[in-house]
Amino acid sequence: MSLDAAFLTALLLSTLRQTTPLLLTALGGMFSERSGVTNIALEGILLFGALTAAVVVERLEAALGPGPHPWLPWVGVVSAMGVGGLVAFVHALVSIKYRADQIISATAINLLALGAPSLVLTYFYGNATSSKEVVNRLPLLFGLSPVVYLAFLLVPLSWWVLFKTPFGLRLRAVGEHPEAADTLGVNVYRMRYTGVVLSGVLAGLAGAYLSIGFLNQFVRGMSAGMGFIALAAMIFGNWHPAGILFSTLLFGLASALAIQLQGSEILPAVLVQAFPYVVTVLVLAGFIGRSRPPAAVGKPYEK
Amino acid sequence: MLTDCKRLGLLVLLGGGVALLLWYLAPWAVPHRVFGGEGVLLNPFGHHLPQGSLPQGYRDAWLYPVFYLSLAWLALSLLLPWTKAGPRGLYWAGALGLGLFLLTYLLFQGSVAQVNAGAERPLLRRYSLGLGSYATLAYGLYLLLLARVFSPGGLALLVRRRGVVVPLFSLLLASLLGGAIVAVLKESPGEAATWREALMLKLDLITYTYQLLYSPLVSPSGFLQSLLLATPLIFTGLSVALGFRGGLFNIGAPGQLILGAIAAMLVGVYLPGPRWLVLPLALLAAALAGGLWGAIPGWLKARFGAHEVINTIMFNYIAASLFLFLISANEYKFFGQTLHLPFKYPGYEARSYEVRPEARIPHWTDLVAPGGELSFALPLALLLGVLGYFLVRRSLGHRVLAAGLLGALGYGLGGLLPGPQVAFGPDLTSVRLNGAFLLALLALLFFHLYVFRHVGGYELRALGLAPKAAEYGGVNPGRKVVWTMFLAGALAGLAATHYVLGGGIDEYRLKQSLPYSVGFDGIAVALMGQNTPLGVGLAAWLFGILLTGGLQVNLQLGISRELVAVLQALIVLFIAAGGFLPRYFTDPLRAAEVELKAEKEVKE
Repeated sequence: MSLDAAFLTALLLSTLRQTTPLLLTALGGMFSERSGVTNIALEGILLFGALTAAVVVERLEAALGPGPHPWLPWVGVVSAMGVGGLVAFVHALVSIKYRADQIISATAINLLALGAPSLVLTYFYGNATSSKEVVNRLPLLFGLSPVVYLAFLLVPLSWWVLFKTPFGLRLRAVGEHPEAADTLGVNVYRMRYTGVVLSGVLAGLAGAYLSIGFLNQFVRGMSAGMGFIALAAMIFGNWHPAGILFSTLLFGLASALAIQLQGSEILPAVLVQAFPYVVTVLVLAGFIGRSRPPAAVGKPYEK
Repeated sequence: MLTDCKRLGLLVLLGGGVALLLWYLAPWAVPHRVFGGEGVLLNPFGHHLPQGSLPQGYRDAWLYPVFYLSLAWLALSLLLPWTKAGPRGLYWAGALGLGLFLLTYLLFQGSVAQVNAGAERPLLRRYSLGLGSYATLAYGLYLLLLARVFSPGGLALLVRRRGVVVPLFSLLLASLLGGAIVAVLKESPGEAATWREALMLKLDLITYTYQLLYSPLVSPSGFLQSLLLATPLIFTGLSVALGFRGGLFNIGAPGQLILGAIAAMLVGVYLPGPRWLVLPLALLAAALAGGLWGAIPGWLKARFGAHEVINTIMFNYIAASLFLFLISANEYKFFGQTLHLPFKYPGYEARSYEVRPEARIPHWTDLVAPGGELSFALPLALLLGVLGYFLVRRSLGHRVLAAGLLGALGYGLGGLLPGPQVAFGPDLTSVRLNGAFLLALLALLFFHLYVFRHVGGYELRALGLAPKAAEYGGVNPGRKVVWTMFLAGALAGLAATHYVLGGGIDEYRLKQSLPYSVGFDGIAVALMGQNTPLGVGLAAWLFGILLTGGLQVNLQLGISRELVAVLQALIVLFIAAGGFLPRYFTDPLRAAEVELKAEKEVKE
């Protein structure tokens, strides 16, 4: 293996592909945490999104016939975003209205995402591990899925939303000092619900990208910790869109390198797979001192 | 604001309404269940009969008097709250309901026995009461509960017992939602002519699912199997609970379990020596390895402030990679050079060599009745151990030491006594319950002694409740965090001994199929058990029962066993939300307010 142009192109494309779900999820996590709610349920929401997209597209194909339906994958994407938002809403409801420990409530959703897909898969396909393959995957645009371009476009967009709009100001205020925001007439609860649901919608989109963009079916546990890695990237990126872009690219590169190394004889594949996780640990240990979370994150607010 | 009297009346009306609805819609009894789960469903408003007629010779006449009695009882209970009898009268109504349920049960059993009597092979074998009769029982219990809550100081009692109320209520809610999921995901067997019959079939399907889930309670082999599945859950539940007590969230139990399994395998396979040396060393190695794997994220938190939640999760993935690296192949290429490992057993499957017989944890039959003779070793050890603990009136260390020594003495002496011959059927001996279960019980004891009777545990709880106060009180938080994570990891690591050294699944090896996700189940166990040893033990047993029953549900109804995982997740979610109960069930300050108010009431 030599470092020729073909290899570099493959590595670049692979990096962009690996970065996309992380970037979407990390941006989602940013909106949630900026509003003051930790959301480690994003891992589970990724899975729910992936499952929804794959099952919706496959079921519609079964009803309409396989023939090329260019609009079909987008129905899957939209329903995945809807389900993602819905699951995030459950987390929001339990942790905002019922003041649950946000990490435990999110863990419950992650546990649910380990078990529930099997029930759904058994119901539709009679096996508990994977869905039937779909024909209508997300299309490719210059070798990459449109979702990839969308994810990178979302970086400047979310920067603008967060720092240049009244909505963003309120969202940040609610996460930094909810009492002060409340005094100024901001509806703390509504802002937090919005932030959490937004994170679920983005993670649902990332999930749809995994199942009908990256692959063509849902496979059990296919998110493989991406939701958690995205959260580490968000911390590393200092809860800022530009920082998140940089850190998710780093993680994307680590995953892409791991994939490129798998066929080679440089390092054993089973060890290389652990690479992104080790990077996460190192990042959390080495750089966390520099980053500063929103002041009120993780704390339930009471009027 | 409603008066207490009105509120009680409305609550009774609500419960009575639900009971009446279930009496109308749900089967009262299922004298016979045909293959595929469809039942012969009896209901006073019309039966559902799969083959068009009742089973040969079955008489359903008992149902009607019971039904009219129940109606009279319902009417009485609805009126009672509005009379002078008030809550006290409801006690009687509740007790009456329990009696009525007992009557239903006896009459039904009688009707089945009548058919079966005389026949060589019983005609009706799969029979049970139905949801309609259970509604009678539930409404009776509900009345008793209301009576207690509306007596002076009743609410305060519930609030004081919130550690039990919240998990049980969450279990109830999760079960209701689980029932709805079953109803949606599974078509009911059998054809229905009317909508009432269709609903009756659905309700019977849900009831049957739960009967299967809890069926291990009534069969000896199922009972043993539930203890088998509870064993690793006790360890991982304690691991998570210890973290919670110290204000830490240990999601790393799966990874710690994997490291424990690797260490147990290394010692168990490769260390020669006598049993009394090798087995304890293998156990120790498992605990140590799990502990160290837990201590690293603890250290990262103490030293760098890295959050333990994400780190422990990352360490799960890293441990899984390491585990596969060791046992999935024996040759690896590193930068063109070849590395040889000795661990993988030849063959297609990724598994280690077998653990040497000296390092194996004995099977339960070898503990209870070695060589077919009932042994007195364990009962005597327990007796002397307890005596030793309570007779020595000195420090905790002395008491534990005395208990341990006397227990060992009892074990030795008991082994010498001759016992009667016993024989167990193959359905019991095939259950792979082993000595790891006893270790799990010891771990529960350790948890109690350390957390509630030892200075270290006191510091741990102080740190969990009020970190700053604990620090002013002289606790070194960094060191305590590392130590807590070490102990939590050690408990999770010991869970692995059940699989590798105890042969808890099928072989005495480390295999790729090691079910390390029981580490996640530990979260549900710890929350359900409210981080107390007794609670963790009971919660682990409950989940052991459900997991065993889940197998039956899968076999008989074709519903994925993951239904149990979904129930667990829902339980965690609902407990996190305080069971959606009023605030005074979750907030200690508000709870204290309720109790103070109740004290005043009682004095008046």
